[in-house]
Amino acid sequence: MRKTMTRVFTIADYEDEEIWLREQHQNGWKLVNMTIPCFYTFESCEPEDVIYRLDFRNMERSEEYMQMLKDFGWEYFDQCMGWLYFRKPAAAVESEDEGELFSDNESRVNLVSHVMKTRLLPIAIIFLCCVIPNFVKFVSGAYVGYAGFFLGILFAVLFVIYVVLLVHCGTKLRRIRNKYRMGTGA
Amino acid sequence: MEDRIKRIYVPMTESGFYILYCLQSPQHGYGISQQVKRMSGGSVVISAGTMYGTLSKMEKDGLIRFYSEEEKRKLYQITDLGREILDTEIRRIERLYKNSKGEDVDA
Repeated sequence: MRKTMTRVFTIADYEDEEIWLREQHQNGWKLVNMTIPCFYTFESCEPEDVIYRLDFRNMERSEEYMQMLKDFGWEYFDQCMGWLYFRKPAAAVESEDEGELFSDNESRVNLVSHVMKTRLLPIAIIFLCCVIPNFVKFVSGAYVGYAGFFLGILFAVLFVIYVVLLVHCGTKLRRIRNKYRMGTGA
Repeated sequence: MEDRIKRIYVPMTESGFYILYCLQSPQHGYGISQQVKRMSGGSVVISAGTMYGTLSKMEKDGLIRFYSEEEKRKLYQITDLGREILDTEIRRIERLYKNSKGEDVDA
């Protein structure tokens, strides 16, 4: 049996997503794949404690990397928008770090910085260079007629979405980064 | 030794030190993690992502180099620069160890 769930996780919510997927598996639902932007397809299975981990590799995914993850006991099963999805049964894990993709704070901070640079920054640039100017145009009445009105509404909606997204992702990613930075003493 | 390299790697993270130490003989990532786990009595565990990231970075900075490939697994080995860094770290750790026992070190 299969089920599809809708759930929104932004680029800053990968740690919450890992916990959610683990809970699903504990309840007998194993993730099969994701469909952009927010649809998760599960397959029923024996309830089991399986650790889920996400790594952001953007487009870079070498054979060496995939082989290394496999050697360390990680099963790769899907990728979505630059994120790779791995899982490993909790029973196969002898120490806490074996259940992690990253065992030191330096590499955890690197992951957050990578996401900020390749995902958050482009969103901020689109917001500044495209959404804001068009939103201002709309407010100042530069759009005329029906088409102009709907275009204006579209930019107003985009404006709100971008503000919410940028504030949420920006603050949360910084919080995650600081959490791990404290650990390094840096 | 280049100042930039020195700034990045001295002092080194614990995982970085173990990885460089193990690469005195050619090894691949998983082999290194197994060796580290064994030699540290299980108290140092380096996970996959950290291993891959550290190896890539060290190769780029010239501390280690590609040695050979075995079934999609890359084997690496320490370079002269890597050895220089490793020796610097070992001397630093020896000093720390002596000082922690209350012994002074000679200039």
